[in-house]
Amino acid sequence: MTTGNDKYKKMIGILRNSKPGLPRPEEMEDEVIRRIRHEKGNTETASGLIEAIFGWVYIGWVRRSLIGAAFILVAVFIYQQASILKQVNNMSKQVVITGIGQGTASSSEFDKKLNIYKISSGLSDDREIKISENQLEEILDSYQDLEEKYKDLLRIIEENPELNKYIEKKLDEGKNNKPDL
Amino acid sequence: MIDKELIEECRKGDLRNFRKVVEKASPMVFSIAFRMLEDEDIARDVVQDTMVTIWQKLAKIKTAESFKTWVYRIAVNKCYDQLRKRKQMPEQRYDDQTWEVISNHMSTESVTELENSENAQIISLLTNSLSPKQKAVFILSELEEMPNNEIADITGMKMTAIKANLYHARKHIESLLQKYL
Repeated sequence: MTTGNDKYKKMIGILRNSKPGLPRPEEMEDEVIRRIRHEKGNTETASGLIEAIFGWVYIGWVRRSLIGAAFILVAVFIYQQASILKQVNNMSKQVVITGIGQGTASSSEFDKKLNIYKISSGLSDDREIKISENQLEEILDSYQDLEEKYKDLLRIIEENPELNKYIEKKLDEGKNNKPDL
Repeated sequence: MIDKELIEECRKGDLRNFRKVVEKASPMVFSIAFRMLEDEDIARDVVQDTMVTIWQKLAKIKTAESFKTWVYRIAVNKCYDQLRKRKQMPEQRYDDQTWEVISNHMSTESVTELENSENAQIISLLTNSLSPKQKAVFILSELEEMPNNEIADITGMKMTAIKANLYHARKHIESLLQKYL
C-alpha cells in the first residue's frame, strides 16, 4: 500500500516535470517593450510640459531679476513688519477710556483723577477720549495747580456777590463772543 | 542565465538589450506566477508588470549577481497582490474531475508532463486552503527547487518560518492525497 508520502513524492515529481510554458513569448516581449516606450513617452511629455511652463526661469537675466525682486520683497516685508511693530508699541502706551460714569466706583488713583477731570471739564459719559496716560496726568496736575493758586481768588469772588455777578456777566459775554468753529 | 554585461547595458538605458533580458527572464517569472495564480492570463499580466518594474528600477539594483533573486522577489510580491485581490472573489472548486486527472497521472509508471490547464487545476486543488506564504514557500521550494536561503532572500521570511510553512504545506497536501487517492 502506498503511503501519503509516496503519493506526495510522485505528485511533486509530476508537477516539477510539468514546468508551465509561457505561451507566445514574442508577443510578451513586444508588449513589455511597448509598455516601457509608452511610459517613457508619457514621462517625456510631462517633462516637456514642465519645461515649456517653467523653462523661462532658466534664462540668465530673468533668473537674476527674480532673485533681485525676491530680495526687494523680503526687504519690504521686513520694513513693513518693523513699522507695524513700532505702531503697535506706540498704541499700547495709550489708554482708551469709554464712558466711565460719575457713579462708577473707581478704586485706583488714576480713575479718581479722571473722574475729577471729567466733572470739572463737563465731559459727558457717552464721549470717548483717546489720550496717553502721561498726558492725562499732566493735564490733571496742572488743573490741580491752578485750583491751588487761585483758591483765595475764588473765595473772594464767592464772598462778594457783586464781584461774582460781574465776573459771571463777563464770562457770558466771553462765551457769546467766541467764534463758531 | 542572464549575464552581468547584459544587465549593465540595460542599466544604461539600452532597451534593445532589455528585450533579451525579457526573453530570458519571462519564462522563469511565468513559471512562478502561473503556479502561484493558476491562471495563464493573470500570470502573463504579472510577467508584464514584473518586467516593466524591473526596467523602471534597474538603476536601484546594487549588483548584477543579485538580479535573479531581485526579479523573483518582484514577481512573488506581484503574485501576493493578485492573491489578495482574489480573496474577495468566489472560491473556485475543483472536484472529482480533477482528482480523476491526478489519479490517471499517478497511476502511470513514467513521470508524465501536464498541460498548463491540468497543471493549474491540480495546483489549485492541492494548495487551495494554504495561505499565500505557505503556497509561495511550497512552490519555490518543492516545484522550483530553490534552496531555503534563496527563498528567504526572495520572500523576506526567516529560515524557521520557511521550514514551518513548508512543513504545513507538505502535511496538508499529503493528507489530501492520502484521503482522495
